[in-house]
Amino acid sequence: MNRTFKLAGTLLTVSMVVWTSWHPLSMAQTSRGADVAVVVNADTPVIDLSLAEVRKVFLGERQYWNAKLPVVLLIRAPVARERDVVLRVIYQMSEGQFKQYWVAKIFRAEVTSPPKIVYSNDMQYELVSAMPGAIAFVDARNVHPGVKVLRVDGMLPGDKDYPLR
Amino acid sequence: MHRPLLIIPAFLFAASVVRGQSSTMPDQTEQIKALLERVELLEKQVAELKADRVAALNSPVTGPATPVIQPPEVQPLAKPAVQVHEHESQIQQETVRQLETHYPSLEIRGFGDADFASTDRKGTNSGFYLGQLDLHIASALSPKISYFAELTLNAHPNDYTIEVERSIIRYDYDDYFKISFGRFHTPIGYWNTAFHHGAWLETTVDRPFIVKVGGTFTPLHLVGALAEGHIPSGGLGLQYNVGIGNGRGELIGRPGDAGDINNNRAWVVKVFARPAKAYGLEVGGSVYRDKITLRAGPEYREWITAAYLTWTKGAPEFLTEFDHVNHRNILTNQIANSDAFYAQFAYRLPWFEKSWKPYYRFEYTHMPLSEQVFAYQPQEESIVGVRYDISNFAAFKLEYRFLNSQPPRLGHPAEPAVNGLFIQTAFTF
Repeated sequence: MNRTFKLAGTLLTVSMVVWTSWHPLSMAQTSRGADVAVVVNADTPVIDLSLAEVRKVFLGERQYWNAKLPVVLLIRAPVARERDVVLRVIYQMSEGQFKQYWVAKIFRAEVTSPPKIVYSNDMQYELVSAMPGAIAFVDARNVHPGVKVLRVDGMLPGDKDYPLR
Repeated sequence: MHRPLLIIPAFLFAASVVRGQSSTMPDQTEQIKALLERVELLEKQVAELKADRVAALNSPVTGPATPVIQPPEVQPLAKPAVQVHEHESQIQQETVRQLETHYPSLEIRGFGDADFASTDRKGTNSGFYLGQLDLHIASALSPKISYFAELTLNAHPNDYTIEVERSIIRYDYDDYFKISFGRFHTPIGYWNTAFHHGAWLETTVDRPFIVKVGGTFTPLHLVGALAEGHIPSGGLGLQYNVGIGNGRGELIGRPGDAGDINNNRAWVVKVFARPAKAYGLEVGGSVYRDKITLRAGPEYREWITAAYLTWTKGAPEFLTEFDHVNHRNILTNQIANSDAFYAQFAYRLPWFEKSWKPYYRFEYTHMPLSEQVFAYQPQEESIVGVRYDISNFAAFKLEYRFLNSQPPRLGHPAEPAVNGLFIQTAFTF
Protein backbone atom coordinates (compact mmCIF):
# COMPACT_ATOMS: atom_id res chain seq x y z
CA MET A 1 0.00 0.00 0.00
CA ASN A 2 2.75 2.41 0.99
CA ARG A 3 4.70 1.45 -2.14
CA THR A 4 1.66 2.54 -4.17
CA PHE A 5 1.76 5.92 -2.47
CA LYS A 6 5.45 6.36 -3.12
CA LEU A 7 4.81 5.52 -6.77
CA ALA A 8 1.86 7.95 -6.91
CA GLY A 9 4.00 10.68 -5.36
CA THR A 10 6.81 10.09 -7.84
CA LEU A 11 4.39 10.16 -10.79
CA LEU A 12 2.78 13.36 -9.47
CA THR A 13 6.19 15.00 -9.10
CA VAL A 14 7.37 14.01 -12.56
CA SER A 15 4.14 15.05 -14.29
CA MET A 16 4.13 18.45 -12.62
CA VAL A 17 7.76 19.14 -13.41
CA VAL A 18 7.04 18.28 -17.07
CA TRP A 19 3.95 20.48 -17.04
CA THR A 20 5.94 23.36 -15.56
CA SER A 21 8.64 23.09 -18.19
CA TRP A 22 6.03 23.23 -20.98
CA HIS A 23 4.02 26.05 -19.43
CA PRO A 24 6.27 28.87 -18.18
CA LEU A 25 4.76 30.90 -15.36
CA SER A 26 1.93 33.07 -16.58
CA MET A 27 3.33 35.82 -14.35
CA ALA A 28 6.00 36.45 -16.96
CA GLN A 29 3.57 36.54 -19.84
CA THR A 30 2.16 40.02 -19.58
CA SER A 31 2.04 42.85 -21.99
CA ARG A 32 4.70 45.52 -21.71
CA GLY A 33 3.49 49.05 -21.02
CA ALA A 34 4.91 52.34 -19.80
CA ASP A 35 7.92 52.23 -17.48
CA VAL A 36 7.54 52.37 -13.73
CA ALA A 37 10.19 54.37 -11.88
CA VAL A 38 11.57 53.48 -8.46
CA VAL A 39 11.69 56.69 -6.43
CA VAL A 40 13.11 57.34 -2.98
CA ASN A 41 13.23 60.24 -0.58
CA ALA A 42 15.92 62.66 -1.74
CA ASP A 43 18.03 62.04 1.39
CA THR A 44 18.18 58.26 0.95
CA PRO A 45 21.82 57.19 0.47
CA VAL A 46 21.25 55.09 -2.66
CA ILE A 47 21.23 55.82 -6.40
CA ASP A 48 21.42 52.43 -8.07
CA LEU A 49 19.98 49.02 -7.15
CA SER A 50 19.90 45.74 -8.99
CA LEU A 51 16.47 44.23 -9.62
CA ALA A 52 17.34 41.55 -7.05
CA GLU A 53 18.11 44.28 -4.49
CA VAL A 54 14.82 46.06 -5.25
CA ARG A 55 13.09 42.72 -4.69
CA LYS A 56 14.97 42.24 -1.42
CA VAL A 57 13.83 45.67 -0.23
CA PHE A 58 10.19 45.13 -1.19
CA LEU A 59 10.11 41.62 0.25
CA GLY A 60 11.07 43.14 3.60
CA GLU A 61 14.41 41.29 3.60
CA ARG A 62 16.42 44.50 3.60
CA GLN A 63 14.86 46.75 6.23
CA TYR A 64 17.52 49.42 6.71
CA TRP A 65 19.30 51.74 4.27
CA ASN A 66 21.83 52.15 7.08
CA ALA A 67 21.78 51.76 10.85
CA LYS A 68 20.03 55.11 11.30
CA LEU A 69 17.61 55.01 8.39
CA PRO A 70 14.91 52.31 8.15
CA VAL A 71 13.26 51.52 4.82
CA VAL A 72 9.64 52.73 4.54
CA LEU A 73 7.76 50.77 1.88
CA LEU A 74 4.94 52.47 0.00
CA ILE A 75 2.72 50.54 -2.39
CA ARG A 76 -0.27 51.70 -4.41
CA ALA A 77 -3.70 50.29 -3.56
CA PRO A 78 -5.04 47.38 -5.66
CA VAL A 79 -5.83 47.85 -9.35
CA ALA A 80 -3.33 50.70 -9.82
CA ARG A 81 -1.03 49.91 -12.75
CA GLU A 82 2.11 50.52 -10.70
CA ARG A 83 0.95 47.88 -8.22
CA ASP A 84 0.32 45.39 -11.02
CA VAL A 85 3.88 45.89 -12.27
CA VAL A 86 5.32 45.50 -8.75
CA LEU A 87 3.38 42.30 -8.10
CA ARG A 88 4.24 40.83 -11.51
CA VAL A 89 7.93 41.76 -11.78
CA ILE A 90 9.13 42.20 -8.20
CA TYR A 91 7.02 39.89 -6.06
CA GLN A 92 5.98 37.49 -8.84
CA MET A 93 2.77 36.95 -6.89
CA SER A 94 -0.96 37.31 -7.36
CA GLU A 95 -2.89 39.79 -5.25
CA GLY A 96 -3.91 36.99 -2.87
CA GLN A 97 -0.39 35.61 -2.57
CA PHE A 98 0.90 39.12 -1.84
CA LYS A 99 -1.54 39.53 1.06
CA GLN A 100 -0.71 36.07 2.37
CA TYR A 101 3.01 36.80 2.10
CA TRP A 102 2.77 39.78 4.45
CA VAL A 103 0.51 37.97 6.93
CA ALA A 104 3.18 35.24 7.13
CA LYS A 105 6.03 37.74 7.30
CA ILE A 106 4.54 39.50 10.33
CA PHE A 107 3.61 36.16 11.92
CA ARG A 108 7.26 35.07 11.64
CA ALA A 109 8.23 38.19 13.60
CA GLU A 110 10.34 39.41 10.69
CA VAL A 111 8.50 42.74 10.41
CA THR A 112 5.87 44.51 12.50
CA SER A 113 3.71 45.90 9.69
CA PRO A 114 3.07 45.47 5.96
CA PRO A 115 3.93 48.18 3.38
CA LYS A 116 1.93 51.38 3.69
CA ILE A 117 -0.88 51.64 1.17
CA VAL A 118 -1.24 54.84 -0.85
CA TYR A 119 -4.32 55.66 -2.86
CA SER A 120 -3.10 58.18 -5.41
CA ASN A 121 0.04 59.39 -7.13
CA ASP A 122 -0.11 62.77 -5.39
CA MET A 123 -0.34 61.12 -1.99
CA GLN A 124 2.60 58.91 -2.94
CA TYR A 125 4.77 61.90 -3.90
CA GLU A 126 3.84 63.74 -0.73
CA LEU A 127 4.87 60.75 1.37
CA VAL A 128 8.11 59.99 -0.47
CA SER A 129 9.12 63.65 -0.23
CA ALA A 130 8.29 63.90 3.45
CA MET A 131 9.22 60.49 4.93
CA PRO A 132 12.94 59.72 5.32
CA GLY A 133 13.77 56.28 3.91
CA ALA A 134 10.59 56.04 1.84
CA ILE A 135 10.64 54.10 -1.44
CA ALA A 136 7.82 53.76 -3.97
CA PHE A 137 6.96 52.96 -7.57
CA VAL A 138 5.53 55.73 -9.78
CA ASP A 139 4.58 56.14 -13.41
CA ALA A 140 7.81 57.25 -15.10
CA ARG A 141 5.91 59.66 -17.37
CA ASN A 142 4.83 61.69 -14.40
CA VAL A 143 7.82 62.01 -12.06
CA HIS A 144 7.56 65.04 -9.76
CA PRO A 145 10.54 67.06 -8.58
CA GLY A 146 11.69 66.53 -4.99
CA VAL A 147 12.23 62.76 -5.22
CA LYS A 148 15.19 60.71 -6.43
CA VAL A 149 14.71 58.27 -9.33
CA LEU A 150 16.84 55.15 -8.85
CA ARG A 151 18.67 53.28 -11.56
CA VAL A 152 17.62 49.62 -11.67
CA ASP A 153 20.31 47.28 -13.00
CA GLY A 154 22.10 50.45 -14.10
CA MET A 155 19.17 51.63 -16.23
CA LEU A 156 16.71 54.48 -15.94
CA PRO A 157 13.08 54.45 -17.09
CA GLY A 158 13.00 54.82 -20.86
CA ASP A 159 16.15 52.79 -21.42
CA LYS A 160 15.71 49.86 -23.79
CA ASP A 161 16.09 47.00 -21.31
CA TYR A 162 14.64 48.73 -18.26
CA PRO A 163 13.07 45.86 -16.28
CA LEU A 164 10.06 47.56 -14.68
CA ARG A 165 7.34 47.99 -17.25
CA MET B 1 -14.40 4.64 6.72
CA HIS B 2 -17.70 4.91 4.76
CA ARG B 3 -19.56 7.41 6.90
CA PRO B 4 -16.67 9.86 6.93
CA LEU B 5 -16.70 9.81 3.14
CA LEU B 6 -20.12 11.51 3.27
CA ILE B 7 -18.40 14.44 4.94
CA ILE B 8 -16.33 15.13 1.80
CA PRO B 9 -19.22 16.06 -0.53
CA ALA B 10 -20.72 18.13 2.28
CA PHE B 11 -17.47 20.10 2.63
CA LEU B 12 -17.08 20.49 -1.10
CA PHE B 13 -20.70 21.68 -1.37
CA ALA B 14 -20.09 24.22 1.39
CA ALA B 15 -16.93 25.28 -0.37
CA SER B 16 -18.72 25.81 -3.66
CA VAL B 17 -21.44 27.85 -1.92
CA VAL B 18 -18.90 30.10 -0.25
CA ARG B 19 -16.93 30.37 -3.48
CA GLY B 20 -20.15 31.34 -5.25
CA GLN B 21 -20.59 34.20 -2.83
CA SER B 22 -17.22 35.56 -3.85
CA SER B 23 -18.20 35.69 -7.53
CA THR B 24 -19.05 39.37 -7.14
CA MET B 25 -15.33 40.11 -6.67
CA PRO B 26 -14.65 41.08 -10.32
CA ASP B 27 -17.54 43.60 -10.15
CA GLN B 28 -16.06 45.13 -6.99
CA THR B 29 -12.63 45.26 -8.62
CA GLU B 30 -14.10 47.12 -11.57
CA GLN B 31 -15.83 49.53 -9.20
CA ILE B 32 -12.62 50.13 -7.26
CA LYS B 33 -10.72 50.66 -10.50
CA ALA B 34 -13.30 53.17 -11.67
CA LEU B 35 -13.21 54.96 -8.30
CA LEU B 36 -9.42 55.14 -8.34
CA GLU B 37 -9.47 56.52 -11.87
CA ARG B 38 -12.00 59.08 -10.68
CA VAL B 39 -9.74 60.02 -7.74
CA GLU B 40 -6.83 60.47 -10.16
CA LEU B 41 -8.96 62.64 -12.44
CA LEU B 42 -10.25 64.75 -9.55
CA GLU B 43 -6.71 65.18 -8.24
CA LYS B 44 -5.61 66.44 -11.64
CA GLN B 45 -8.55 68.82 -11.78
CA VAL B 46 -7.86 70.10 -8.27
CA ALA B 47 -4.20 70.61 -9.16
CA GLU B 48 -5.17 72.52 -12.33
CA LEU B 49 -7.68 74.64 -10.43
CA LYS B 50 -5.10 75.42 -7.75
CA ALA B 51 -2.53 76.33 -10.38
CA ASP B 52 -5.08 78.57 -12.18
CA ARG B 53 -6.07 80.21 -8.94
CA VAL B 54 -2.52 80.88 -7.88
CA ALA B 55 -1.70 82.23 -11.35
CA ALA B 56 -4.77 84.46 -11.30
CA LEU B 57 -3.97 85.76 -7.83
CA ASN B 58 -0.36 86.46 -8.67
CA SER B 59 -1.00 88.09 -12.05
CA PRO B 60 -1.72 91.88 -12.18
CA VAL B 61 -5.38 92.76 -12.61
CA THR B 62 -5.90 94.25 -16.05
CA GLY B 63 -9.02 95.47 -17.82
CA PRO B 64 -10.02 97.95 -20.42
CA ALA B 65 -11.79 100.31 -18.02
CA THR B 66 -9.39 100.13 -15.10
CA PRO B 67 -6.28 102.23 -14.65
CA VAL B 68 -2.98 100.40 -15.10
CA ILE B 69 -1.54 101.51 -11.80
CA GLN B 70 -1.41 98.70 -9.33
CA PRO B 71 -3.84 99.62 -6.60
CA PRO B 72 -2.89 99.16 -2.97
CA GLU B 73 -5.59 96.52 -2.63
CA VAL B 74 -3.51 94.16 -4.79
CA GLN B 75 -1.39 93.47 -1.72
CA PRO B 76 -4.20 91.79 0.18
CA LEU B 77 -4.91 89.79 -2.99
CA ALA B 78 -1.48 88.20 -2.74
CA LYS B 79 -2.32 86.86 0.72
CA PRO B 80 -4.73 84.10 -0.42
CA ALA B 81 -1.94 82.69 -2.65
CA VAL B 82 0.19 82.23 0.46
CA GLN B 83 -2.85 80.81 2.26
CA VAL B 84 -3.39 78.28 -0.58
CA HIS B 85 0.24 77.20 -0.26
CA GLU B 86 -0.06 76.94 3.53
CA HIS B 87 -3.29 74.95 3.17
CA GLU B 88 -1.60 72.52 0.75
CA SER B 89 1.30 72.12 3.09
CA GLN B 90 -1.09 71.46 6.00
CA ILE B 91 -2.87 68.77 3.99
CA GLN B 92 0.49 67.22 3.10
CA GLN B 93 1.61 67.22 6.71
CA GLU B 94 -1.71 65.70 7.78
CA THR B 95 -1.36 62.89 5.18
CA VAL B 96 2.17 62.13 6.32
CA ARG B 97 1.12 62.26 9.99
CA GLN B 98 -1.70 59.77 9.36
CA LEU B 99 0.60 57.28 7.64
CA GLU B 100 3.51 57.62 10.05
CA THR B 101 3.96 54.74 12.48
CA HIS B 102 2.75 55.69 15.94
CA TYR B 103 4.30 54.00 18.94
CA PRO B 104 3.32 51.59 20.31
CA SER B 105 1.60 50.32 17.17
CA LEU B 106 -0.34 47.18 18.00
CA GLU B 107 -1.38 44.63 15.36
CA ILE B 108 -3.35 41.54 16.35
CA ARG B 109 -4.04 38.63 14.07
CA GLY B 110 -5.53 35.23 14.75
CA PHE B 111 -5.38 31.77 13.25
CA GLY B 112 -7.84 28.95 13.77
CA ASP B 113 -8.93 25.63 12.38
CA ALA B 114 -11.79 23.17 12.73
CA ASP B 115 -11.07 19.56 11.85
CA PHE B 116 -12.54 16.15 11.26
CA ALA B 117 -10.57 12.93 11.70
CA SER B 118 -11.34 9.30 11.13
CA THR B 119 -8.85 6.44 11.33
CA ASP B 120 -9.05 2.66 11.56
CA ARG B 121 -6.66 2.62 14.54
CA LYS B 122 -8.12 0.36 17.24
CA GLY B 123 -9.62 2.23 20.17
CA THR B 124 -10.06 5.57 18.44
CA ASN B 125 -13.30 7.26 17.42
CA SER B 126 -13.92 9.41 14.41
CA GLY B 127 -15.22 12.91 14.95
CA PHE B 128 -14.78 16.65 14.80
CA TYR B 129 -12.31 18.55 16.89
CA LEU B 130 -11.02 22.08 17.28
CA GLY B 131 -7.45 22.88 16.40
CA GLN B 132 -5.38 25.50 18.13
CA LEU B 133 -6.83 28.98 18.34
CA ASP B 134 -3.77 31.09 17.82
CA LEU B 135 -3.44 34.79 18.58
CA HIS B 136 -0.48 36.74 17.30
CA ILE B 137 0.53 40.17 18.55
CA ALA B 138 3.08 42.42 16.86
CA SER B 139 3.86 45.84 18.21
CA ALA B 140 6.54 48.34 17.25
CA LEU B 141 7.56 50.12 20.47
CA SER B 142 9.97 52.47 18.70
CA PRO B 143 11.62 52.51 15.26
CA LYS B 144 14.11 49.89 16.47
CA ILE B 145 12.33 48.01 19.24
CA SER B 146 9.50 45.55 18.60
CA TYR B 147 7.49 43.07 20.61
CA PHE B 148 5.96 39.86 19.27
CA ALA B 149 3.81 37.30 21.06
CA GLU B 150 1.96 34.15 20.08
CA LEU B 151 -0.67 32.66 22.38
CA THR B 152 -2.61 29.46 21.74
CA LEU B 153 -5.80 28.10 23.24
CA ASN B 154 -5.74 24.32 23.15
CA ALA B 155 -8.78 22.06 23.43
CA HIS B 156 -8.55 19.11 25.84
CA PRO B 157 -11.19 16.55 26.87
CA ASN B 158 -12.24 18.53 29.95
CA ASP B 159 -10.90 22.03 29.49
CA TYR B 160 -8.78 24.45 27.50
CA THR B 161 -5.19 25.37 28.21
CA ILE B 162 -3.48 28.62 27.29
CA GLU B 163 0.11 28.45 26.12
CA VAL B 164 2.54 31.31 25.55
CA GLU B 165 4.21 29.94 22.42
CA ARG B 166 6.39 32.98 21.78
CA SER B 167 7.05 36.18 23.69
CA ILE B 168 9.87 38.18 22.15
CA ILE B 169 11.26 41.66 22.62
CA ARG B 170 13.67 42.60 19.83
CA TYR B 171 16.15 45.40 19.22
CA ASP B 172 17.23 46.01 15.62
CA TYR B 173 20.60 47.67 15.16
CA ASP B 174 20.53 47.19 11.40
CA ASP B 175 19.99 44.34 8.93
CA TYR B 176 23.15 42.63 10.14
CA PHE B 177 22.40 42.50 13.82
CA LYS B 178 19.11 42.09 15.68
CA ILE B 179 18.99 40.81 19.23
CA SER B 180 15.92 39.35 20.95
CA PHE B 181 15.07 38.04 24.39
CA GLY B 182 12.18 35.83 25.46
CA ARG B 183 10.61 32.55 24.37
CA PHE B 184 11.24 31.54 20.75
CA HIS B 185 10.54 28.73 18.41
CA THR B 186 13.96 27.08 18.25
CA PRO B 187 15.57 27.79 14.87
CA ILE B 188 16.31 24.15 14.07
CA GLY B 189 15.45 23.23 10.49
CA TYR B 190 12.71 24.97 8.56
CA TRP B 191 9.15 24.18 9.62
CA ASN B 192 9.33 25.26 13.26
CA THR B 193 10.16 28.87 12.40
CA ALA B 194 8.33 29.11 9.07
CA PHE B 195 4.78 28.19 10.11
CA HIS B 196 4.79 28.41 13.93
CA HIS B 197 1.23 27.46 15.01
CA GLY B 198 -0.72 28.87 12.09
CA ALA B 199 -2.43 25.88 10.42
CA TRP B 200 -3.63 28.19 7.64
CA LEU B 201 -0.01 28.86 6.64
CA GLU B 202 0.69 25.15 6.24
CA THR B 203 -0.25 23.43 3.01
CA THR B 204 -1.06 20.20 4.87
CA VAL B 205 -3.50 19.51 7.73
CA ASP B 206 -0.81 18.78 10.29
CA ARG B 207 2.88 19.27 11.00
CA PRO B 208 5.49 16.58 10.31
CA PHE B 209 6.53 14.25 13.12
CA ILE B 210 9.82 16.15 13.59
CA VAL B 211 7.98 19.23 14.83
CA LYS B 212 4.71 17.75 16.09
CA VAL B 213 2.96 19.96 18.66
CA GLY B 214 3.67 18.29 22.00
CA GLY B 215 6.35 16.15 20.37
CA THR B 216 9.84 15.54 21.64
CA PHE B 217 12.04 14.76 18.65
CA THR B 218 13.37 18.31 18.45
CA PRO B 219 13.01 21.00 21.14
CA LEU B 220 10.34 23.33 19.75
CA HIS B 221 11.01 26.19 22.16
CA LEU B 222 14.01 28.02 23.55
CA VAL B 223 13.85 30.49 26.43
CA GLY B 224 16.76 32.88 26.27
CA ALA B 225 18.41 35.22 23.75
CA LEU B 226 18.67 35.11 19.99
CA ALA B 227 20.85 37.14 17.63
CA GLU B 228 19.97 37.19 13.96
CA GLY B 229 20.75 39.06 10.78
CA HIS B 230 22.30 39.04 7.36
CA ILE B 231 25.84 37.93 6.57
CA PRO B 232 27.52 40.08 3.90
CA SER B 233 27.51 37.61 1.02
CA GLY B 234 26.29 39.42 -2.09
CA GLY B 235 23.75 37.51 -4.14
CA LEU B 236 24.02 34.42 -1.95
CA GLY B 237 21.74 36.03 0.64
CA LEU B 238 23.23 34.38 3.71
CA GLN B 239 21.54 34.92 7.09
CA TYR B 240 22.24 33.62 10.58
CA ASN B 241 20.52 32.84 13.90
CA VAL B 242 22.57 32.31 17.05
CA GLY B 243 20.66 31.48 20.22
CA ILE B 244 21.40 30.56 23.81
CA GLY B 245 18.81 29.53 26.37
CA ASN B 246 17.34 27.08 28.81
CA GLY B 247 16.72 24.32 26.29
CA ARG B 248 14.75 21.24 27.24
CA GLY B 249 13.06 21.11 30.62
CA GLU B 250 12.41 18.27 33.01
CA LEU B 251 9.66 17.12 30.65
CA ILE B 252 11.71 17.13 27.46
CA GLY B 253 8.77 18.28 25.37
CA ARG B 254 8.79 21.59 27.22
CA PRO B 255 11.41 24.30 27.63
CA GLY B 256 12.49 25.64 31.01
CA ASP B 257 10.07 28.56 31.16
CA ALA B 258 10.54 29.15 34.85
CA GLY B 259 14.26 28.35 34.95
CA ASP B 260 16.68 25.78 33.60
CA ILE B 261 16.73 22.23 34.88
CA ASN B 262 20.53 22.34 35.07
CA ASN B 263 23.40 24.81 34.96
CA ASN B 264 24.13 24.08 31.32
CA ARG B 265 22.65 26.41 28.68
CA ALA B 266 21.52 25.08 25.33
CA TRP B 267 22.80 26.83 22.23
CA VAL B 268 21.81 26.80 18.59
CA VAL B 269 23.38 28.13 15.39
CA LYS B 270 21.53 28.26 12.11
CA VAL B 271 22.84 29.54 8.77
CA PHE B 272 20.67 29.72 5.70
CA ALA B 273 20.74 31.22 2.22
CA ARG B 274 18.08 32.84 0.07
CA PRO B 275 19.97 33.32 -3.20
CA ALA B 276 18.95 36.38 -5.20
CA LYS B 277 19.15 34.53 -8.49
CA ALA B 278 16.86 31.72 -7.34
CA TYR B 279 13.96 33.66 -5.85
CA GLY B 280 11.89 31.20 -3.80
CA LEU B 281 14.78 28.92 -2.84
CA GLU B 282 15.99 28.59 0.74
CA VAL B 283 18.65 26.20 1.90
CA GLY B 284 20.05 25.98 5.41
CA GLY B 285 21.50 24.00 8.23
CA SER B 286 21.59 24.17 12.01
CA VAL B 287 23.34 22.73 15.03
CA TYR B 288 21.83 22.49 18.53
CA ARG B 289 23.61 21.43 21.71
CA ASP B 290 22.11 20.81 25.16
CA LYS B 291 22.44 18.80 28.34
CA ILE B 292 19.27 16.92 29.25
CA THR B 293 18.41 16.08 32.83
CA LEU B 294 15.47 13.69 32.95
CA ARG B 295 13.06 13.57 35.86
CA ALA B 296 14.18 10.01 36.59
CA GLY B 297 17.77 11.16 37.11
CA PRO B 298 20.01 10.21 34.19
CA GLU B 299 21.71 12.98 32.22
CA TYR B 300 22.46 13.06 28.50
CA ARG B 301 24.42 15.19 26.09
CA GLU B 302 22.32 16.08 23.07
CA TRP B 303 23.56 17.08 19.61
CA ILE B 304 21.02 17.89 16.91
CA THR B 305 22.09 18.60 13.38
CA ALA B 306 19.57 19.56 10.74
CA ALA B 307 19.55 20.53 7.08
CA TYR B 308 16.76 21.64 4.79
CA LEU B 309 15.98 22.78 1.28
CA THR B 310 12.76 24.55 0.30
CA TRP B 311 11.24 26.08 -2.79
CA THR B 312 8.14 28.04 -1.82
CA LYS B 313 6.77 29.63 -4.96
CA GLY B 314 3.63 27.46 -4.94
CA ALA B 315 4.06 26.09 -8.46
CA PRO B 316 5.72 23.89 -7.51
CA GLU B 317 6.28 23.98 -3.74
CA PHE B 318 8.91 21.69 -2.30
CA LEU B 319 9.95 21.28 1.34
CA THR B 320 12.40 18.78 2.69
CA GLU B 321 14.12 18.62 6.05
CA PHE B 322 16.43 16.12 7.71
CA ASP B 323 17.18 16.01 11.44
CA HIS B 324 19.74 13.85 13.22
CA VAL B 325 19.59 13.55 17.02
CA ASN B 326 22.49 12.15 19.03
CA HIS B 327 22.09 11.31 22.73
CA ARG B 328 24.96 10.22 24.93
CA ASN B 329 24.36 9.01 28.46
CA ILE B 330 26.86 10.98 30.55
CA LEU B 331 27.21 8.16 33.08
CA THR B 332 27.43 5.11 30.81
CA ASN B 333 28.55 6.75 27.54
CA GLN B 334 25.84 4.77 25.75
CA ILE B 335 25.00 6.49 22.46
CA ALA B 336 21.75 6.52 20.49
CA ASN B 337 21.33 8.11 17.06
CA SER B 338 17.85 8.90 15.75
CA ASP B 339 16.99 10.30 12.35
CA ALA B 340 13.90 11.78 10.80
CA PHE B 341 13.08 13.43 7.54
CA TYR B 342 10.15 14.51 5.45
CA ALA B 343 9.78 15.53 1.82
CA GLN B 344 6.68 17.44 0.79
CA PHE B 345 5.68 18.33 -2.73
CA ALA B 346 2.74 20.53 -3.71
CA TYR B 347 1.63 22.23 -6.86
CA ARG B 348 -0.79 25.14 -7.17
CA LEU B 349 -2.91 24.33 -10.22
CA PRO B 350 -3.17 27.14 -12.78
CA TRP B 351 -6.93 26.68 -13.23
CA PHE B 352 -9.89 27.74 -11.04
CA GLU B 353 -8.19 31.01 -10.02
CA LYS B 354 -5.21 29.01 -8.72
CA SER B 355 -7.18 27.97 -5.67
CA TRP B 356 -6.42 24.21 -5.72
CA LYS B 357 -3.15 22.78 -4.48
CA PRO B 358 -2.69 18.98 -4.43
CA TYR B 359 0.13 17.71 -2.26
CA TYR B 360 2.05 14.67 -1.18
CA ARG B 361 4.34 14.14 1.82
CA PHE B 362 6.49 11.25 2.86
CA GLU B 363 7.87 11.05 6.39
CA TYR B 364 10.34 8.64 7.89
CA THR B 365 11.54 8.36 11.47
CA HIS B 366 14.20 5.96 12.66
CA MET B 367 14.83 5.33 16.35
CA PRO B 368 17.17 2.68 17.73
CA LEU B 369 16.07 0.45 20.58
CA SER B 370 18.88 1.98 22.62
CA GLU B 371 17.14 5.40 22.57
CA GLN B 372 16.33 6.29 26.17
CA VAL B 373 15.34 9.94 26.00
CA PHE B 374 12.43 9.55 23.56
CA ALA B 375 9.57 7.10 23.66
CA TYR B 376 10.25 4.49 20.97
CA GLN B 377 8.29 5.76 17.96
CA PRO B 378 9.68 4.69 14.60
CA GLN B 379 7.31 5.46 11.77
CA GLU B 380 6.87 5.71 8.04
CA GLU B 381 3.95 7.72 6.76
CA SER B 382 2.57 8.85 3.42
CA ILE B 383 0.11 11.69 3.06
CA VAL B 384 -1.80 12.70 -0.04
CA GLY B 385 -4.29 15.54 -0.09
CA VAL B 386 -5.56 18.70 -1.63
CA ARG B 387 -5.83 22.25 -0.34
CA TYR B 388 -8.55 24.52 -1.64
CA ASP B 389 -8.22 28.24 -0.93
CA ILE B 390 -11.78 29.38 -0.46
CA SER B 391 -10.61 32.99 -0.15
CA ASN B 392 -7.34 34.82 0.44
CA PHE B 393 -7.62 34.04 4.15
CA ALA B 394 -9.42 30.69 4.46
CA ALA B 395 -8.76 27.20 3.13
CA PHE B 396 -10.21 23.69 3.10
CA LYS B 397 -7.91 20.71 3.20
CA LEU B 398 -8.76 17.09 2.52
CA GLU B 399 -6.12 14.51 3.36
CA TYR B 400 -5.59 10.77 3.39
CA ARG B 401 -2.81 9.30 5.52
CA PHE B 402 -1.25 5.90 5.56
CA LEU B 403 0.93 4.97 8.52
CA ASN B 404 2.96 1.88 7.70
CA SER B 405 3.00 -1.12 10.00
CA GLN B 406 6.01 -1.74 12.27
CA PRO B 407 7.41 -5.20 12.98
CA PRO B 408 7.77 -6.36 16.59
CA ARG B 409 11.03 -5.38 18.26
CA LEU B 410 12.53 -6.31 21.59
CA GLY B 411 9.97 -5.24 24.18
CA HIS B 412 7.78 -3.51 21.59
CA PRO B 413 4.82 -5.28 20.00
CA ALA B 414 4.09 -5.05 16.27
CA GLU B 415 2.16 -1.95 15.17
CA PRO B 416 -0.50 -2.47 12.50
CA ALA B 417 -0.86 -0.14 9.53
CA VAL B 418 -3.29 2.75 10.02
CA ASN B 419 -5.42 4.48 7.40
CA GLY B 420 -6.87 7.89 8.16
CA LEU B 421 -9.03 10.56 6.60
CA PHE B 422 -8.61 14.16 7.75
CA ILE B 423 -10.53 17.28 6.81
CA GLN B 424 -9.68 20.76 7.97
CA THR B 425 -10.86 24.27 7.43
CA ALA B 426 -8.10 26.69 8.43
CA PHE B 427 -8.26 30.46 8.40
CA THR B 428 -6.69 33.67 9.59
CA PHE B 429 -8.61 36.66 10.86
